[in-house]
Amino acid sequence: MRLMMIFIAVYYLTASIPALAVHGGSICVSCHRSDTARLDSSGGCVVCHREHERIFGYAMGKRDGEKQFAQRSYGRFDSDFWEKNCDSCHLQGCSDCHGAVGNIRKPTVADCQKCHTGYYTGWDYSGRAPREDNLRYQRGLAVNGETFLKMLPDVHYRAGMTCGACHSMSSLKDGQKASKGCRDCHQPSMKPVEHRIAAHLERLECYACHSAWAAQEYGTFFLRFRDQRMKEDFDLKAGSSAEYLRSSYLKKQDAPPLGINNRGLVSPIRPMFIAYYTDIMSARNNGPENTLLATEWRAWFPHTVQRGCVTCEGCHDNPARFLLEPESRRIYNLTKDGMGLESFWLQKGQRVSNGSFMDAARYLRMSSKSPAYTKAYIEKWKTFLNHVENSSRP
Amino acid sequence: MKISSFNLITTAVCLFLGLAAFCLESCSRVPSRSGCISCHNALEAASVNHPSCSACHGGNENATDKSVAHSGMHGPANPSEPAVWDESCGRCHRYQLERVGSTIMQTNAGMIRNIQLTWEGEDGNRYTTHGEKQFDADGQQFSPKPVEELDNLSGELYRKFCSRCHIGSGNAGSYGATHASGCAACHFPWNNEGVYTGSDATMKGRAGHSASHAMTALPDTQVCARCHNRSGRIALSYQGLNDGNNGLVPTSGGEGGPLMTSGARNLTHITPDVHFAAGMECIDCHTSRDVMGDGFAYRTMYLQTEIACEDCHGTARELPRYREIIRENDEALRESRNYKLPVTSGMNMIRTVKGRSYSNVFYRDNAVWVAGKKSGKLHRSKVITGTPEHDLAGHERLECYSCHSRAVPQCYGCHTTYDKRRSGRDFIKGADTPGSFSESEDYRMLYPFPLALNQRGRISPVTPGCQTFVSVTEPDGSRSKTEYVSMFKGRQQLRFAPFYSHNTGKKAVGCAECHGNPAFLGFGQHVVEREGIKGTLICERSDSKPLDGFLTLDKGRVKAYSAITRENARPLNGAEVKKTLKVNLCLPCHDKPKDPIYRKGLDYRALDDDLHRRLLSDR
Repeated sequence: MRLMMIFIAVYYLTASIPALAVHGGSICVSCHRSDTARLDSSGGCVVCHREHERIFGYAMGKRDGEKQFAQRSYGRFDSDFWEKNCDSCHLQGCSDCHGAVGNIRKPTVADCQKCHTGYYTGWDYSGRAPREDNLRYQRGLAVNGETFLKMLPDVHYRAGMTCGACHSMSSLKDGQKASKGCRDCHQPSMKPVEHRIAAHLERLECYACHSAWAAQEYGTFFLRFRDQRMKEDFDLKAGSSAEYLRSSYLKKQDAPPLGINNRGLVSPIRPMFIAYYTDIMSARNNGPENTLLATEWRAWFPHTVQRGCVTCEGCHDNPARFLLEPESRRIYNLTKDGMGLESFWLQKGQRVSNGSFMDAARYLRMSSKSPAYTKAYIEKWKTFLNHVENSSRP
Repeated sequence: MKISSFNLITTAVCLFLGLAAFCLESCSRVPSRSGCISCHNALEAASVNHPSCSACHGGNENATDKSVAHSGMHGPANPSEPAVWDESCGRCHRYQLERVGSTIMQTNAGMIRNIQLTWEGEDGNRYTTHGEKQFDADGQQFSPKPVEELDNLSGELYRKFCSRCHIGSGNAGSYGATHASGCAACHFPWNNEGVYTGSDATMKGRAGHSASHAMTALPDTQVCARCHNRSGRIALSYQGLNDGNNGLVPTSGGEGGPLMTSGARNLTHITPDVHFAAGMECIDCHTSRDVMGDGFAYRTMYLQTEIACEDCHGTARELPRYREIIRENDEALRESRNYKLPVTSGMNMIRTVKGRSYSNVFYRDNAVWVAGKKSGKLHRSKVITGTPEHDLAGHERLECYSCHSRAVPQCYGCHTTYDKRRSGRDFIKGADTPGSFSESEDYRMLYPFPLALNQRGRISPVTPGCQTFVSVTEPDGSRSKTEYVSMFKGRQQLRFAPFYSHNTGKKAVGCAECHGNPAFLGFGQHVVEREGIKGTLICERSDSKPLDGFLTLDKGRVKAYSAITRENARPLNGAEVKKTLKVNLCLPCHDKPKDPIYRKGLDYRALDDDLHRRLLSDR
């Protein structure tokens, strides 16, 4: 552990040396292709950093996954939906991340969060969750004009680690999401009882338990306004497109539901997206509205890691967390609201685009209180309660 | 105005009858055919007991000219408003009027007091909306001050924000919240738009009037929902409606939806209260004394309310109490006259917490029955007395709705700005005065919900009440307060209030769910660490305190950093938190509430006996 901290510290110091010093000796046109060309394209940089050009061909540059989603959902009604609403966030040049002219540097967390903002992973790393879309909720702290609910930041963020510590340039240029997984740095201690349960270590992503919270949006609505005056009745935050307003049925930011990711491991999952579309003009002329276009979930890694986690029953006695909500526990009545789904926390009619839901039989096995479970459960609570004092602080 | 000879004759007859009625100081039961009907010829009769126009409205019903006819009217449109109700409704309904004059819905004494307490506005005086003389619960007369004289920010807040919801003031302009003032606030039907849509051509389409002129003795749930749709919004939760994130979706006909209510808020659907689902209206539980008062002035709502779950359902050890109707002038007989099923002498009426009779709940054939006051539908109440799952050691401290609530609306972070540069409507003074309030919010949720001790020393759900952060802009534009947290019980702290959300479920919150999830104890959304519980939704004014809770557990020590309003109410202390969590040592095996081990206090040494050691050893 101590060695790792030294490594992180050295890494951090190295990262903070101004990159400009490296480029100070170069003549201008070796980076800028002409006297007037700005450095906002990759053109100049990749002359030297040739191997890094590949990054533009991967997810951040092309955004194929998101494009395909937009095409198969909202694209059915508006073929330009992607360009209107989603296109502002894609990698165009090296300086998108590496600072401005005269201050070329390794990306800071804030650089990454220019795109990784709102509902997208990375914003959560600093303890930020999206606020509700109605202007009544658009208040308080904001960065780059984006307001947020103040949440507990990831432990790595609190320790001063930047995104690059786990997402190195060399991994990104190779088309990988990350250069480090949790277990590259952490060997799970056998002290906590949870770690001594073999199934936990074999079948769960570390972050299935250690993601303390996650932004979840249930029912994403895009409302299309062909006549801007019709927006008057909708006190919603303006988005990137003048033609659309975005809203949602429900936002949450507690411990996220769990499913199976494409590595076959239990992982947090969240709606991305349960998508609805209303063309306001058409709806006011008795046309369709609240058309359900997608019911897709994604397995992902919320960047909200904490030492602690939920208690045992947070998973083992919580069928809704696996989208197996019993009717007797239902609160939201989507059927009455014409949402085309019985419940957000029922697998029926929904899918995980990069994995699967946990099947009901497996959940039943998991939630049956075996002797081993009982024993571990009692040990967990005994250990915890030994640390709780009877007295209160004033 | 031209009237026929027929009308002249009928007017004369009516005049005679009206005079006779007046002389007898009673309400005429003979239909009047006054000059009024020459214009309002299709206006619905208020009721068969209210046939005369002028008996209620005053005015000059023999006149043929509109202005003469209307001169001297009470109201004029609404003869039941407090300024004139002595001359109209009060002439016949003296008993009711004197009660209504001191009901908490008219005085708003509780609302004003709580705003004072939580906005640092307490000045040692008792205030009511209008400051009329009252009798307190001990029968002592006292003279509260009118809230007009409460010259501080809390007075301003009440007058400009909260005062529209008392029955002394009408609201004709808020979609979904329109109502008259006075008796008609509850006894006349209003629609969402506040427009008359009845049969009378003269009134048709007129705004600021009830939908029809047909009054009702028994207000339905919709009537209550016209006011009880904000703040705790119990009338919404009861019906299965959620005033959630104001997202205005799913849309309805291209407008905000699925349902809209006042303040451009949208309502979505949630599972309704089990009593609503069974067809019960608000008034089927709430007695007329609950809502109209009992003649005494209480300083808060919970002192006026005389009903409790236990009245009909019993407690673990005590059956519901009842008394027989013997006297012919019994209150229950009089009250139930307008019910579909009036009660009769000899019936055994269930008693309220205060020992008085319900007028629609009775004991018969070994069961407790609730009769729908409007519907006449009979509901058999499930009595829990003697059931082991309700007789758990320690749970005698719980309110029924701690376990049986489903959704509990919680609004976190109420950021209120008072801008002295702008003027706002003072609904009590009836004038625009300098100073305008605006609000923004952080987050709303329904489940899970925190529990704490209420004023009865019982464990009850609590909801933010309120987490107010005050900013004040002075006339010169400078900020004299920025996101200020006011002093409460001697220190700067946010507040939670004991609360019954009126979204009751038959199925209780599970044992492991409540005992195993510290959010129910007031820790908010969280993670559990070795020696502590860490909140994840953090207050903007703090580094680590949860916004959605009031307790932290750090290095083994429980600390409360928010208050629970009401006297004697408080968060659970360290010993109580530990005791609640300790039950988890038994729950994985003893997972049924009927398990006999829960009937007596838990003995954790049992875990070390031979049986448990064998069961818990490696097998």
